[in-house]
Amino acid sequence: MPNPESLIWVAAVTTVIWVGLFVYCIALDRRVRRLEEGQ
Amino acid sequence: MTRKALKIWFPWVLGVWMIVVIVAAFFYAPPAQGFKGESSRIVFFHVPQAWVAVLAFCVNLVASVRYLRRRDPLDDARAAAAARLGLVFSVLATITGSLFARVMWGSFWNWDPREVSIAILLLVYAAYFALREMVPDEERRSTLSAAYAVLAFVTMPFLIFVVPRIYWSLHPDTIISASGQLRFEMESRMRQVFFGSLMGFTGLFAWLYTLDVRLARVRMSRARREEV
Repeated sequence: MPNPESLIWVAAVTTVIWVGLFVYCIALDRRVRRLEEGQ
Repeated sequence: MTRKALKIWFPWVLGVWMIVVIVAAFFYAPPAQGFKGESSRIVFFHVPQAWVAVLAFCVNLVASVRYLRRRDPLDDARAAAAARLGLVFSVLATITGSLFARVMWGSFWNWDPREVSIAILLLVYAAYFALREMVPDEERRSTLSAAYAVLAFVTMPFLIFVVPRIYWSLHPDTIISASGQLRFEMESRMRQVFFGSLMGFTGLFAWLYTLDVRLARVRMSRARREEV
């Protein structure tokens, strides 16, 4: 495990959380749009 | 701006906004004195996540009360979407908080009053979904979970704002200072990043919530068509 005090470690965790949420949102947005268009 | 344009542009504006916030959090804002390593930068993400969780539980309460008054299934969907997001952001706040705890206090979990109270809050809202899964009848499920949500919300301010202030806690008071003073005034660059992140996470919540409600609306109209 990297040193938890390091900038890289803190940046990696916070960025992964943000990017994960953002990618999930993009995927969900596409799915909802497809479903709405299919109606 | 039309609604359609907003739907198209909002994700990209939010994405760029948060890239700027993340870069600024690590390269623009100074690390606060009195904090080990780079731990103070976690606050730029941890506090907005906790704020969004509180906001989501407030939305859950409003939607639940509206459901109890109007019996509109969409209000039930709104309440469930908000509770789901509240739970997700509480988990994220716990993860980033435990990372902070590992740096500052040497362990991911210290049984600090704030850690215990967020764990209880997670259980309270996890029980909301357990309840929803247990009741097969839709109307009964919506009514019971709305009533439960009202009761669950009563515990939220107590667990988040009262308990950690009654007992001695390792957790720092809300905001940190670059000058190391513990009566917290934020340095201006830190304040810019902090409020930028707060706005970004609030925008993310609004986006996720809207998508969840739109998805519920599509499912409902599909179910209605199948019934006919």
